[in-house]
Amino acid sequence: MRKQLYNVGAILKGLSITFKFMFAKRPTIEYPSVKKQHAPRFHGLHELRRYADGKERCIGCELCSSACPANAITVIGAENTPESRKSPGERHAARYEIDELRCIFCGMCEEACPTDAIVLTPRFEMADYRRGSFIYAKDRLLVPPEAGVGTPPDERPNGIPADLGRVAEVKSTIDITAGYGATHRGEILKTQRRGLAG
Amino acid sequence: MAEAATEMVKLTIDGVPVEVPKGTLLVEAAKKIKQEIPVYCYHTKLGPAGLCRVCLVEVEGMPKLQIGCNTPVADGMVVHTRNEKVESGRSMILELLLVNHPLDCPICDKGGECDLQDYAMAYGRGASDVADPKQSKPKGVDLGPTIVLDEERCVVCQRCVRFDDIIAGERQLVVKDRGHNDIIATSTGDPYRHNFTGNVTELCPVGALTSKTYRFKSRPWDLNRTETSCTQCAVGCRQFADVRYGTLVRTMSVENDDAISDGWLCDRGRYNIGYLGAPERLTQPLYKQNGQFVQIGWDDAFALWAKAINDARAAGKAVGALGGGRLFNEEAYLLGYVMRALGVKNLDWRTGRQLQASPGANASYEALENASSIVIAGDIAELAPVLWLRIIKAVTRKGARLVRVGACGAAPGFAHTDVTNAGEAAQAVAAEGGVAIVWDGADLALGAALAATFASRSPLAYIASEQSNARGAEAMGLLPTDGGADFTKIAADAANGAYGVLALFGANPLRNAPNAETMRGALQATPFTVVSELFMTESAQAATLVLPAKSAFEKSGTVIDIAGDLLPVNASLQAPVGALSDLEMLIGLAQQFDLALPTSEELDAAVIARAAKPLAAALGEARYATSEPLAPSSSRSIWDGGGTCAHDDRIATLRREPVKVGA
Repeated sequence: MRKQLYNVGAILKGLSITFKFMFAKRPTIEYPSVKKQHAPRFHGLHELRRYADGKERCIGCELCSSACPANAITVIGAENTPESRKSPGERHAARYEIDELRCIFCGMCEEACPTDAIVLTPRFEMADYRRGSFIYAKDRLLVPPEAGVGTPPDERPNGIPADLGRVAEVKSTIDITAGYGATHRGEILKTQRRGLAG
Repeated sequence: MAEAATEMVKLTIDGVPVEVPKGTLLVEAAKKIKQEIPVYCYHTKLGPAGLCRVCLVEVEGMPKLQIGCNTPVADGMVVHTRNEKVESGRSMILELLLVNHPLDCPICDKGGECDLQDYAMAYGRGASDVADPKQSKPKGVDLGPTIVLDEERCVVCQRCVRFDDIIAGERQLVVKDRGHNDIIATSTGDPYRHNFTGNVTELCPVGALTSKTYRFKSRPWDLNRTETSCTQCAVGCRQFADVRYGTLVRTMSVENDDAISDGWLCDRGRYNIGYLGAPERLTQPLYKQNGQFVQIGWDDAFALWAKAINDARAAGKAVGALGGGRLFNEEAYLLGYVMRALGVKNLDWRTGRQLQASPGANASYEALENASSIVIAGDIAELAPVLWLRIIKAVTRKGARLVRVGACGAAPGFAHTDVTNAGEAAQAVAAEGGVAIVWDGADLALGAALAATFASRSPLAYIASEQSNARGAEAMGLLPTDGGADFTKIAADAANGAYGVLALFGANPLRNAPNAETMRGALQATPFTVVSELFMTESAQAATLVLPAKSAFEKSGTVIDIAGDLLPVNASLQAPVGALSDLEMLIGLAQQFDLALPTSEELDAAVIARAAKPLAAALGEARYATSEPLAPSSSRSIWDGGGTCAHDDRIATLRREPVKVGA
């Protein structure tokens, strides 16, 4: 009998913890309908910025790709011509691709960049169905001229870059069946594989 | 001079005793103890200029800092290259050099391999007291078809100017204007254009002179570097092939390559790389059916080829093979091996206009420099450009006498004697010392006359062949020995329908053979012709079976240069899928006949044994003679490249003017 009473005490003690948490504030949120505010300098998806006159900040110097510890960045430079002047100097990035699956979001690219062209935004929702679609090329990285030009993302009015909707929009139009083949990095991988097979 | 050179001087550099020959400069003496003195204007091959002042050292007993590049050693000298006084002076000089330097390293092609960057990091202060804005000068100035000049980056070390004057003998580049406004320009204002312009991009210690072809293609740390030999002409300069993402983006000279290139490259060797990725490269065997080429697989190609050889034998028709200068030694040897194993004796390598491979056992390039007389016949400056730099060196800096026999292209800008025949040449050469003969191999009679005239002087002989590995093919026995037909006889007989199968490896006789018309008839009359080529050349168009070949950057092997050196060629690129090397094609053919092939060790041993044996024959000897006499060549230039130059639009712009050689 005494033993049974002892058990009731233990049950009540255990349940008290249950009830305490039942009425406490919940640590989880209803993602994705509710979203958490990130730290202002959260390292998420990259973007390539522009100057106020609309020119690209990136000069294709490849310092980001050299600094990258995950070897995630591919840059191929090219010369600006009088007809198509993409960046202020002589050189611009003809191709700029980041493999977000390789990226460890350390921000070394940001630190290496001599023109503050590449920055990490707080955006982290990049889920997709195909590996190939995680290679972000200039079409998805470069901010459109009208989106928060000249202001780093954490100083922008809403904290989150204004082109997020556009990123999703561009992504939906990309032919994901082309996968790696659609990108330069993918082309290299393909040739290498073909070379090995041959 | 020889006695003075051996006199040794003892001095102390940074507390380490050094003993060097008298007259040695301090920079060179410091290298003995592996102590670096930074230099910009000084270059081992250009000598001191005393312009940049960055090589400051302290010499005890001298009131001020001295420049290490132009101070010869003296007995008992005590030199400091690392003390506080030197370092403060050096950092001051670097600060001054950087006063107007734009520091645009991120977009500079030199960034990562730049002496200014390296020394500024190693010896510079990291800051400047100059508050005034930097001077702005034009950037991206078009200096010529190969070179882009960034005037802001220039530190006016004049290495390029001195290279142009001393090494290339052109004197096109000068320093224009003075003070902070000085810039590098051509004296006439014309585009900077000669056969060696690319070297100034390597000499430039900053990013002022850069190559147009390499502009913004890559950063130095991206490149996969392979050391290889240039196969664009028969000189065989050592070169680095720099590959990024499977594309050859540039080739660089090997600076300490004293034995072959002396550290220089000609513009064709450096810039003729565009053809490698040309879209018209062949990547699939093509078989002609009813006058149309159809793509077939490699297995079918080998089977058709083997069947054609069997059919020809059954029909009692002859089989022949011609191997050109594009073949490496291994391929030339195996071509001879496979063909002889199949009972084919009609073999020849001589398909171009030049019918010669250099004889001579001791004819090294360095020996040429020390000859007291150099006799040239033909436009050597165009055919063997880097060899021509040696001749310039011998004549202008070592006092050799240059004698030009017959038509030898444009007159050089230094002392030379023009004569018309071998007898006059004998009168013109120096009475004493060694004689070197550099002959283009076109006029057999002239070659024989030169050989006979100078026989008593035991001359060094070099034949600047148009085909890059002519000497290798010759040494590997790709010749009609054992009673086979030579290439003129093969052509004549085949034109009469005597041949069943004719194979052309690395040769385009319809473009550059002296008997091209007979050759065309031969290819048309022969029922089965095989051509291994990179592109759809004139000869390939006329063939029955076209096999896509690998280029020299895509296969490994060896070649022999005209001085007889066995040079390795290392693959730096992946070939387009579908192309095979000539070696692999021959193996494929041999498998059709179940031939026993040498192992790769046996192949290497055979090549080395044959390469080591000097070609004994003298210039113009009878065995070089062909069954039918051939006319000397009419027009040749280095800007042909066996037809590869035609596949790169840019290369055409590099030529100064079409060069006509011969009568």
